[in-house]
Amino acid sequence: MVLKQKFHEAFKGTVERMTGPRTVSAFKEKGVLSVSEFVLAGDNLVSKCPTWSWEAGEPSKRKSFLPPDKQYLITRNVPCLRRAISVEAEYDAAGGEVLIDNEDNDGWLATHGKPKETKSEEEDDLPSMETLEISKGRAIRSIPSYFGGEEEDDIPDMADFEDSGNLVEADDPATLQTPYFVTHEPEDENILRTRTYDISITYDKYYQTPRVWLTGYDESRMPLRPELVLDDVSQDHAHKTVTIEDHPHLPGKHASVHPCRHGAVMKKIIDVLMSRGVEPEVDKYLFLFLKFMASVIPTIEYDYTMDFDLGSSSS
Amino acid sequence: MASRQASPSPSASMSGSLLQFDRFQSLVDVGFWHRLSVLKLDTLGIDQSPVPLVGFFAPHSRAHVSNHLNLLSESLPDPVKNASPLETHLGNRNKCPVPGILYNTNTLEGFKELDRDNLLQIEANKILADIQSGRVEEDSTLLLRFLVISFADLKTWSFRYLFAFPALVVDPPATLLSLQPATQILSAEEAESLSAACNEWRSSSLTAGIPFFIVSINSDSRATLRPLKDWEFCQGDQNKLLFGFYDPCHLKTNPGWPLRNFLTFICLRWKLQKIRFLCYRERLGLANLDVSLIGDALISIPKDFGEPQYIPKAVGWERNGNKLAFRHICLAESMDPQRLAVSAA
Repeated sequence: MVLKQKFHEAFKGTVERMTGPRTVSAFKEKGVLSVSEFVLAGDNLVSKCPTWSWEAGEPSKRKSFLPPDKQYLITRNVPCLRRAISVEAEYDAAGGEVLIDNEDNDGWLATHGKPKETKSEEEDDLPSMETLEISKGRAIRSIPSYFGGEEEDDIPDMADFEDSGNLVEADDPATLQTPYFVTHEPEDENILRTRTYDISITYDKYYQTPRVWLTGYDESRMPLRPELVLDDVSQDHAHKTVTIEDHPHLPGKHASVHPCRHGAVMKKIIDVLMSRGVEPEVDKYLFLFLKFMASVIPTIEYDYTMDFDLGSSSS
Repeated sequence: MASRQASPSPSASMSGSLLQFDRFQSLVDVGFWHRLSVLKLDTLGIDQSPVPLVGFFAPHSRAHVSNHLNLLSESLPDPVKNASPLETHLGNRNKCPVPGILYNTNTLEGFKELDRDNLLQIEANKILADIQSGRVEEDSTLLLRFLVISFADLKTWSFRYLFAFPALVVDPPATLLSLQPATQILSAEEAESLSAACNEWRSSSLTAGIPFFIVSINSDSRATLRPLKDWEFCQGDQNKLLFGFYDPCHLKTNPGWPLRNFLTFICLRWKLQKIRFLCYRERLGLANLDVSLIGDALISIPKDFGEPQYIPKAVGWERNGNKLAFRHICLAESMDPQRLAVSAA
């Protein structure tokens, strides 16, 4: 699997180097975007949803086919209050899923039914074991060293710090003394689940579509291992369409929604719109695209507005 | 002993209570550590001189979570260009630049032995000097100076660090008379005009990154935002004045940390003792006066302010939980060349 992925990456890289970027629009025919259409759609997203912005990224990683100051889009500190893995049951119960591509098992879910308010149904709220374990670990070791910190002797000696503790600090009455975590936990006080995400959108030259990347942080604002990000991905996609790969502009591994079927799905969405007499405009591509991404990452509350109705099945 | 509760009861805040500020919180992107490692290996070597940083923040914009002070890879000086990091980041509304300083030590012992009280005091003294000299009126982000101490262990690719957001401690502390959603204080016309003015301020590349401002509302309910350097023009007219700041905090009951030095500045520099402030917050990136707060604070000029050697105490080390403990991140998996080679095989 990993090897296959690597071969594919190498192949893809070669093709990307040898072929020029798309210049002719094939938005309605194939659901794909040319480079200039990506920039146009990105500009529109940034202007309508100002929590998104363009980034220039590392100069050494810049793609020459994109403007230097518009290499990728990012929105930061997006809350994710619950794990997708634990709300899945609710979505199934709600029965609001619509498969818009059922040719194979990789079918995309177009829209979800509105999740039921299940505050009273505690069973559904139980977090996964993985989540529980992390929370527990952190409560005991108040230093989040789980992030790869295997070396025992690396656990910092807090006594060294506390004995010289700043007394002014402890007695300062004008500092709000908050409990350990400052984010509001919506339900159970004892189980901490609020993660935050930086979501970035790059242009994938090979598939000629946008591509979404997720960088997660836990409640204490420490980076999440990319594997833990899969908890926040719809389980239909977690190990198939969402993979962990090198980000084209940022260092390290990040979870990403693989773009191999983006064009096909976007084409279907566009066809549905056109069959309803709505003429989709290319600068709205990212709104449609982010709406579609919401089915993959249903609990990450990023911003996208819809200027038009996707259809009767939309929530 | 201060209350451990996150939210003092609203009734307490009505009758004049101690004004408590919610701490700023740091968030360090993995890219920052990558860039620091490169900088350390290629440029700094064993030089332990402080390194200028630029951190980024934005007003609170999403329910449930406060915004953080972010360190990204571009927070560090570009080793190629010798440009000041602050200047290259103006204009992005989601990345308001804040000046900071990094003390990175070569050894763990050196890290533990850093005189933290002294380092914090040095930064606080800079803030005081910038208040007194009037530099803050030209560049208000100086009120938000921050400090990071770190030990980058490049043998194990692990990083220990601690943030401080220095705040001057005024004695006696400020009192909060009231704190309410802005829409409850302003008339509908005023709120509408203020929203429009804030959105305009936030969408202009010249002002988007400027986190402190003066709101002036005239008798026709028209609101205008002005930079701090316009203070003398605002004084004379009969308009209602509000002192606004980008509030990263999401709590309904408390203002965020940036207000703290701002109030001190207004009191020490402009000699105001009753201050109406605006905690500017957004929803979906646009001004939202239901979540923005307007408060009245009383602050008195510190007793020893006139003395030539006036140096207020400073606080602001970030807590890890309720403890003053450093944070630790190990990035061997993404940085260790040996491990990368193994995982790539």
